[in-house]
Amino acid sequence: MIKLPGLGLARGMALSLRRIFEPKATIRYPEVPADVATKFRGRLQLLYDEWGTLKCETCFQCAQACPIECIDMGGIDTKGRYHVHWGPPETYGERRDESAMRRSGRPVPNRAYAHFEGIDLGRLDEILDEFDYDPRHMLGILEATQAAYGHLPVAALKRISHRTGAWYAMIYGTASYYRHLRFERPDDAAQAAAVQANRPAEGAFVAGLDAALAGRAGRAQA
Amino acid sequence: MTTVLSTPKDWPSILLGRVGTTGAAGRVRGKGTPPPDLLADAAGALDAALAGGAFAGLKRAVHDLGATGTIATLAASGLRGRGGGGYPTAEKWRAVAGTDAARRYVVANGYGADPAVQTDRHLMEVDPFAVVEGTAIAAFAVEADEAFIAVRADSTEAIRRLEAVVAAAEEANLLGRSMLGSGRTLTIRVRPVQGAYMLGEETVLLKALEGRRGQPEQRPPYPSERGLFDQPTVVQNVQTLAAAAWILANGPEAFTAVGAKGSPGTILVGVRGPAGAGIAEVPLGTPLREVVALAGDAGSLKAVLVGGPSGGLLPASLLDTPYEFDALRAVGAHVGSGSVVAADERACVVDLARLLTRFCADEACGKTIPCRIGTRRIFEIGDRIATGVPRPTDLQLLADLSADVVASALCDHERLATLPFASGMRYFRSELDEHILRSSCPAGVCRPIAVAAAAGAAGRAH
Repeated sequence: MIKLPGLGLARGMALSLRRIFEPKATIRYPEVPADVATKFRGRLQLLYDEWGTLKCETCFQCAQACPIECIDMGGIDTKGRYHVHWGPPETYGERRDESAMRRSGRPVPNRAYAHFEGIDLGRLDEILDEFDYDPRHMLGILEATQAAYGHLPVAALKRISHRTGAWYAMIYGTASYYRHLRFERPDDAAQAAAVQANRPAEGAFVAGLDAALAGRAGRAQA
Repeated sequence: MTTVLSTPKDWPSILLGRVGTTGAAGRVRGKGTPPPDLLADAAGALDAALAGGAFAGLKRAVHDLGATGTIATLAASGLRGRGGGGYPTAEKWRAVAGTDAARRYVVANGYGADPAVQTDRHLMEVDPFAVVEGTAIAAFAVEADEAFIAVRADSTEAIRRLEAVVAAAEEANLLGRSMLGSGRTLTIRVRPVQGAYMLGEETVLLKALEGRRGQPEQRPPYPSERGLFDQPTVVQNVQTLAAAAWILANGPEAFTAVGAKGSPGTILVGVRGPAGAGIAEVPLGTPLREVVALAGDAGSLKAVLVGGPSGGLLPASLLDTPYEFDALRAVGAHVGSGSVVAADERACVVDLARLLTRFCADEACGKTIPCRIGTRRIFEIGDRIATGVPRPTDLQLLADLSADVVASALCDHERLATLPFASGMRYFRSELDEHILRSSCPAGVCRPIAVAAAAGAAGRAH
């Protein structure tokens, strides 16, 4: 290559000149939709906070919303008891454990991976039959299951997922949302108390309100 | 047990007017033979209630008015939803009736989410006939053949009474197959729901009835367009439906004669004050002062919390505000759950607002970030102020954050959860400044100086 003084400058200017007359790539984004594949929903990225902990709360809402179901997701629930997995179980069943471990990206207590105990599924099958294996009656199925077993055993949730075709994570999400459904045996007092402390009951609010009105600090929940 | 407060003699009674004549509550006022108990003799109780005027509105709707006539009557009455939003009932029904869906639903919201008031439960216990009748009228008007009455699972008394009324009414052909000879079929189911504060929100309640995780949906599309099982759905508070039944029976003119001009009728209010607490039926537009006075002499009143856990804190100078949807919203409160709480000098506004925000943050379903994280941060700012370790920018941060949460809110829960602190800053600025600048609590509740030393540890624990 011959070194001519000013050649680089000229090349650069030529490039600039060419680009000036090319169509602009910048768009006014929300007003003008970007020209991408119709199913493109942006780049997936998991964020970490300043202490290096994964910010993902394993709420499965992204996996639930994904229109092309490309998010294969596993993690432990917020209380470190069970791991839950989003994705068709038949596809991911054999590598579910390691997938969950790898993708949750944080140290996982071993007890989350302990074998769940077996239960007598006879009663559960009767319940499922009664509800016609319809995932639209999931709340009713879960309530009946809890009435039969006293709590919601992991084995029962897996069976419900298997027989109704509803994803395990979806069932888990429903069961963990409603306060009257529980995963612990009612006699496991310490664990039940921990759950109660985490989700203050409505009675505590009324008590706190009364206390606040009477001039005591309304910290009944603390 | 719920106490019913005595109201002035000249206040009209619409929702609780039939109490004692229907045999529903078992407590009879006045003379004459008591009607048969609803749970023991449902048919007899229904006969007694029919004699007392129950289901007159439904009969009139089916036999005389027809579906469009029913909605027109409601439109003339100006009835607005009692669930807190105050949306005109007739417009909602018209929207559902105007869709071309094959199936439509009616859902009566009797959940009564606010743990501190039991107005809806009380209504369902003392007059389940009116609630069932109103549900049937709504279903008839929008041509739905299935309706649900959602009740808290712990209100077992209300559930038993409603189920008894539905069964007796089906037996008497008031509901069910070819109801009242109209050729229309209507099934009413009483559905116990439980387990979350958020179930009071209409889209969340629909999710629970579908057996799914209770998280709200973007509106629009409103449930009147796409609701239960994606079909057009009328969701109304049980008080609205009971009022609709009364309007159909007594005519819209009698209804507009009661209450405020923009929002006629009465509403059940749960009043709580230093001297007592209870439920009262209040005509809309009654000055707040008279509502508060129902619970007894409040003494030196400092603040009134209007609207439940996400309500606004109003100062004593605003006690002349009429208790009515638009006027309350204008001053930074809302009808909400129908709760009116009077606080006297012993209560601290910061402490009260912190408690309310904490409850709202704890009960957030977690669907949207402004709610899940924003309300939590608002509580933390309030906690810093109350424990005496505020940062210089905290008030500005509180205002900005509240505005952001409101602007990006998905459902009314988060939009209103900012109200306790927003109204606290608006009306009780001097008390907040006292906390921040002088580290002292005028009410002597917070004791910031005593707590300040331990606050660092407590702050880290959150």
